[in-house]
This record gives sequence, C-alpha cells and structure tokens, in this order.
Amino acid sequence: MAFTAASSSSSASKTQISLTPHSPLTSISPSKFNKFTPPCPLNSRSPSIRCTLTKQHAMVEDRVDPAALLHRPDSFGRFGKFGGKYVPETLMHALTQLEAAFRSLATDDEFQKELDGILRDYVGRETPLYFAERLTEHYKHPDGKGPLIYLKREDLNHTGAHKINNAVAQALLAKRLGKKRIIAETGAGQHGVATATVCARFGLECVIYMGAQDMERQSLNVFRMRLLGAEVRAVHSGTATLKDATSEAIRDWVTNVESTHYILGSVAGPHPYPMMVREFHAVIGKETRKQALDKWGGKPDVLVACVGGGSNAMGLFHEFVEDKDVRLIGVEAAGFGLDSGKHAATLTKGEVGVLHGAMSYLLQDDDGQIIEPHSISAGLDYPGVGPEHSFLKDIGRAEYYSITDEEALEAFKRLSRLEGIIPALETSHALAYLEKLCPTLPHGTKVVLNCSGRGDKDVQTAIKHLKL
Amino acid sequence: MVNQMEEASLFSTGKFGRFGGIFVPETLVTCLNKLADEFNLVLHDSHFQAELAVALRDYVGRETPLYFAQRLTNHYKNCNGQGPEIYLKREDLNHGGAHKINNAIAQAMLAKRMGRKRVVAATGAGQHGVATAAACAKLDLDCTIVMGDVDMERQSSNVLMMKLFGAQITSVQGTFKDATSEAIRKWVEDLDISYYLAGTAVGPHPCPTIVRQFQSIIGKETRKQAMEKWGGKPDVVVACVGSGSNALGIFHEFIGDEDVRLIGVEAAGAGIDSGKHSATMAKGVIGVYHGAMSYLLQDDEGQIIGPHSIGVGLEYPGVSPELCFLKDIGRAEFYTVTDEEALDAYGLVCRVEGICPALEASHALAYLGKLCEGLPNGTKVVVNCSGGGNKDAKTVLNYQLEKQIASHTCTSH
Repeated sequence: MAFTAASSSSSASKTQISLTPHSPLTSISPSKFNKFTPPCPLNSRSPSIRCTLTKQHAMVEDRVDPAALLHRPDSFGRFGKFGGKYVPETLMHALTQLEAAFRSLATDDEFQKELDGILRDYVGRETPLYFAERLTEHYKHPDGKGPLIYLKREDLNHTGAHKINNAVAQALLAKRLGKKRIIAETGAGQHGVATATVCARFGLECVIYMGAQDMERQSLNVFRMRLLGAEVRAVHSGTATLKDATSEAIRDWVTNVESTHYILGSVAGPHPYPMMVREFHAVIGKETRKQALDKWGGKPDVLVACVGGGSNAMGLFHEFVEDKDVRLIGVEAAGFGLDSGKHAATLTKGEVGVLHGAMSYLLQDDDGQIIEPHSISAGLDYPGVGPEHSFLKDIGRAEYYSITDEEALEAFKRLSRLEGIIPALETSHALAYLEKLCPTLPHGTKVVLNCSGRGDKDVQTAIKHLKL
Repeated sequence: MVNQMEEASLFSTGKFGRFGGIFVPETLVTCLNKLADEFNLVLHDSHFQAELAVALRDYVGRETPLYFAQRLTNHYKNCNGQGPEIYLKREDLNHGGAHKINNAIAQAMLAKRMGRKRVVAATGAGQHGVATAAACAKLDLDCTIVMGDVDMERQSSNVLMMKLFGAQITSVQGTFKDATSEAIRKWVEDLDISYYLAGTAVGPHPCPTIVRQFQSIIGKETRKQAMEKWGGKPDVVVACVGSGSNALGIFHEFIGDEDVRLIGVEAAGAGIDSGKHSATMAKGVIGVYHGAMSYLLQDDEGQIIGPHSIGVGLEYPGVSPELCFLKDIGRAEFYTVTDEEALDAYGLVCRVEGICPALEASHALAYLGKLCEGLPNGTKVVVNCSGGGNKDAKTVLNYQLEKQIASHTCTSH
C-alpha cells in the first residue's frame, strides 16, 4: 500500500484493503492502519499566533484559521497557541533530530513492516470493536429506544492498556537512532511497565523515574519493572510524584542526550512528542473506522475517552477530527468534586501556562505553582493535559466533561456486572459519562468508547471503596 | 490411532482407549447424555458457531498471535549460533489473561441455549472461576462458584474479581477436589435449572470432549499461522499439563500429524521424589477420579495424594483421560519441571521478551532448557503461552527475595 504524506492527516489514513493471495479474507493486518502520516510542515511563513484567552466556545469555521486545523501541529509544534518547545537549549537539537527521524520513518517501508509485525504478534492488534449488548440494554429508555454502545478493546493489548502502542514504536525509533539507553517517567507505574516491557523486548537499557511516594504505593509495579530488567530511580523532590518524576527525567535527558532516548508516555511535553505519541496511538482510530464500516456500514456518531495526559483519547479521536459529524468527548477526573480542590480536571478548571515543555491548560494557583491533582485513578492524576486537547477544546471541536471518583467506581462495577469486563479506573471515567450522555442521544446513535485499559490492577482499590 | 480417537468422542461411553468413561451415580447419567446430545447439536449448528466466532473475536480477542520470540531463540542458540526457532502461542492475550475463557464462554453459551438459568463451577486457583463468572455476567446467567477455603485464602484477588462479576462464591473445606465434589452436588440438586461448567478436560464424558473441543481453536489457529509464517507445520508443540486443557487445545489439531512432536510438561514441584509435586503422568497410577478413569496420584490405599506446585493451576491429582491415552500409545511425551526451574523461566522470559508468562506456562518454557540442545538447527518449536503472569508477580518477588537472602547467607559463612 502506497504511503501518502498528505497535509490532511485523516484523508491519508483512509484504509485501502488490498487482498493479496496470501492474506486471508477475514484477517486484515494492522499494517493497513498504522502508516502514520505526520502533517507536512508549513512553509516558513507561519500564521501569527493568536493569544486570545476567552473561554467561549465557538464554531470551528468562525474562530480558527483553517490552516491551523489542518496542520496539527504547525512547524513550530503549535496547535493554535498551544504546544511548542519550551525547553533548555541543550534539548533543542535532540528534539529536532527526533522530529526528523520520525518524519523519515514515515516513508520507511522496512520500519513500517517491522512495527506492523510487532503490533500484530507482540502487542496483539488489531483490538476488537466490541458491541456491549447488556450495557446498551441498560441505557435503553422505557420505550426501548437508545444508543448502541461499542467498546474499543485496548484492554486486550499486551500489558493491558493502550500505552504499549506508543512505547513499542518509540523503542523501535530509538533503536533506529542508534540509542542504547531509554528513560521514562511514570506515576502509578503503567507507563513504566510498558516502557520496561519494550526495553526487554528490544534489549535496551532502561531507567524509569518514579516519585518516591508513588513507589511506596505501587511496590508491585516497581517489582515488575525490575523483573523486566529496568532500573527504577526514586525521585524525592517536590511532592515525590509524577510531575517531579517527569522533571527529573527531563534533567537526565539534558545530561545524556547523545546516548539516550526519552519515551514520553503521553501527548504532552515539547514538540515533536505530542504529535509523535498521537501518531503512534492513531492506529486505535484507524482500526475503529474500518471496523465501524464493517459492522454497520458507517462511522461512529460519538467517540468517548478518558483524558489524563490525553494519549488514548487522541489515539481514538485523531482519525475523526475532520469528520464534523463525529462528536468527540473527553472525560477528565473530577476527583472529590470540581469545587473540592482535589481533582484533575485540567480542561475545566485549569489556566493556560507552560508545563514540561509545552503550553497547555494546567492546574496552577495564583502564584503559578502547580496544584497537586487528585483522582482515584492514578493514570488521570496529571496537572497538565496534551496541548492538542487544549486546542480542540478552544475551537469547540471536542467537548470535555468530568466525572468524580464515586461515579467512576460505580461505572467500574457496572461494566463488570453487565459485560464481564473489568475496566481500568481511568477508563471507568469515560464509562461513567455514559450515564449523562445516553439519555440525550437519539435512538440508534453509535457510541464508541475507548476501553483504554483493564482493571485487574484496580480491584483492590475498588473493593475497598465499594465495600463488596 | 486417529480413528480410535474420533470414535471415542462420538460414542456415549467417552472412552479413550481404556481411559475416560462415565463413572458417575445413576442420577447423573441421563443428564450427561443430554449434555452430550446438545453438544453434538451445537457442533453442527452454524448459527451457534457463528455467534461463538463473534464472541471469540470481539469479546475474547481471538485470534491470538503466534509470536516469534527472537531473543528467547537467541538465548537457546549453541556456540555455533545454531538452534531451534521458538514461537509462543499467545493465549496470555485473551480476555482474562488465559486460555480458560475459550471454554468458559462457549459452555456458557451452550448453557443459555439449553435454557439453563444458573451455572455452577468449581475452581482451584481461581482462573476458571474468574473466566466463568465473566462469561456469565456477559450472558446474564446466575453464577455459583465453589472454592476450597484453603484456595480462597491463597487467591483472594481472584475471589474479589468473581464477586465483581456478580458471582456467588460458596466456600467448602479443603481444596479443588472438594470444591468439585460440592459443585457436582449443587448441580444434581436442580438439574433442570443448573449447568455444570467443567473447567478442564477431566471428569465424566462428555466433559473432557466438550472442553477439548472448545479449546481446540488454539491448535487450529496455530496450524493456519504456521502455514502463513513459514509455509509448514510446527515440528514440536510444547504445553504445560495440569489437568490438560491448554495442552489438548493445542495438541488436538496435530494428533494425526505424526511428524509433529507433542510434549506435555508437568509440575515436579519440590522435586519428583519429594512427594510434593503434581506429576501425575510421571508418578501416578490408574484409577477412577471425578467420574473418569485416568492416571492419578494416589497412595497404596487408593487415597488421593494432595498435589503441589508453585503453578497453582497445575495442582490437580488427576489428568485428562485423553492425554493418558496419548501417553500410553506413545503419541505424546511427558516430562516434568520443578518449581525452581519454572520460577527461573518466568524471570528469563520476562527479561528477554518483556512477556511475563503465568507460572503454569513457565513450566512449558522451562522445559526448553532441556529440549533445545537436542534439536536440529531451525526446528520450529511452538510453546503454548497459556496465560499471563501478572497474577504471579508477588510469588516470584518472594522467591527472588528468598534466593537473595539465601545466597547472602551462604557467602557470609
């Protein structure tokens, strides 16, 4: 299949299904989906940066230079005013090198083929688009009408979440760059485990930075990373949690940039990371488009995903951003409640600022100090959010809501009871939003929810709260 | 030989040579015959098969990959750089993390089709209980899982998961063998409403055949994937053996292919001569257990010897009658691996492939250490990676800590 690096990312990703004599009719290899297509860089005259801080939503066509929507990001790594590369000078070259490598791999058939094979045989793609019959039944109105709920089963991936899609691709990229050492940050440990996993697979040295407080709470994940051959370094500075681990990882990278690749776990951080991580997860949305066509001959009407840093959501949304008839809904963590001060609802309660190299919404106080977020689900416990989400919110292309710990726990229990699938607590936030969403939807609306991870890691936590 | 096997599955006696059969009280015979009839019907029911195919694809996540383990292959190369090629059949990627769900979802669908409202199952380590509870939640069936109190304590996370799925857990004194007896008792209490969901290829006919049939998807996929990958068949197929469902699941497809070696690996626990193991083929004698004739671990007085293995799912004193038959006719070979060898294999595969196999599957992987040196260059070996090992991380952690302490103590003397 010819690779196309068109300026519109979604048109290039439309699936061409070619049936060679060797490919069985019923199995379509993931190679059709993960030919990532980074947007073409604009010519040297970039559009002027708009710094309007209004929080009013507006129609896409009214507010935004169409070029900004098309080129996500632009050559400076900006999504509108968000994104960019707010990093020390020492890192600029590495980031430029990384971007160049990433773009060149887009046309490298050998790389694509190797990545395809790994996603298929190691990660277990493609993941199913599962019709959740009993959940659908649950949301029917008394007259028997209601939307149809489908789950994109990223929980079935190797290591139990979507994280591995990006980790595997970045490890392969690092190898191509001749890097022998990988570093990463981790909060609860999921991204750390995914990174340690791929380093074991590819024989790369691996150092994971983790807040000392998190290490105590997640000792089993620490052990798993060590078992996989990674070194886990405790970070004691600040509040000894994820944001501090991230800062430490960036410091390490500055020091060791020649030998080391930094596998960032989400669509946050300096350009080209938000774009790269999105592209590596875009396979989720690409598969969904094809599967939706197979199942009902159309597109999803609504996409729902939880948002921490934003990678699983961008992975599902990206394919459909230019399909105006597809609604995009991100669900953040409201923790103890939006007014409690203990939440992680960055897009609802945050202000624009710079964190970890990118301009985006973030939770900061009046002195510009980061507010420690809270969510029962560690993976959503991040005070920032990917810059592309900030952009999509500002232009009104995507909608963002939030769900409390309690609502997420109820949803956790609900999916377990109705479908025999235990969702990650992160995912449970997206599932909880269905309670508010479904009553508003016309009969037969096709809702696809990203089941971004499985929840056996959360059973102990949930049981404590649910008192089962 | 193959014809004998096929005949065995059709006849109501359910015999595999001298093994198998229906050694049950009269009350159950009619019931089991009804089950056998219904099962034979669904085998040829295209509507049921189509529905099952969708469930296996969209719910379970099949087909599972046949993964070329490059670094494991390199690890087993000799000093000339020669050695076999190791492939892992990734049953660890199934929903629920093991092969158990293949059988659980299919039988739950069978129960629904038979109009049963309640499913009853016994579980030891909990994997089968969890898979059954999940399938029942999806299909809106009441679910009762019977578990020995000893096991409930050891496997508390599995118990929690079953509860989350909405299953009722009934505790009995003892372990899996006691739970099985109680589950069958519950089934008999209300034969019209209840369905007994056997978790593995043991028990009275038609249970071994049903379970084997629903697990045989593993071998079918393997044949197709081997053809796609290297244009041939596997040369050697290796699987761990507790009671035998994952082994039969991958072996069955290839029984008629004489050029495919079938190797089952049992648990030697603390050592084959320690008395603490679960190596039924190696050390068992023929007897009748849970309704079928097979090898089993029994003492001179015919009392069952409690099995032991670090891979709790391998702890069963009996073994599939079909596997017993394959052993007797020399079609399959059986070996054993100790706890320590399995634990070491867990660590190795984690480190070189980033895959942490269940301790049960680690027994099959550990056997590669003995198998590979004898194999010609390029031999295609497929190991059934029957489950994922997150559930075993704590056990492995304790083992590694103890090992460290032990070696520290040694060096300080």
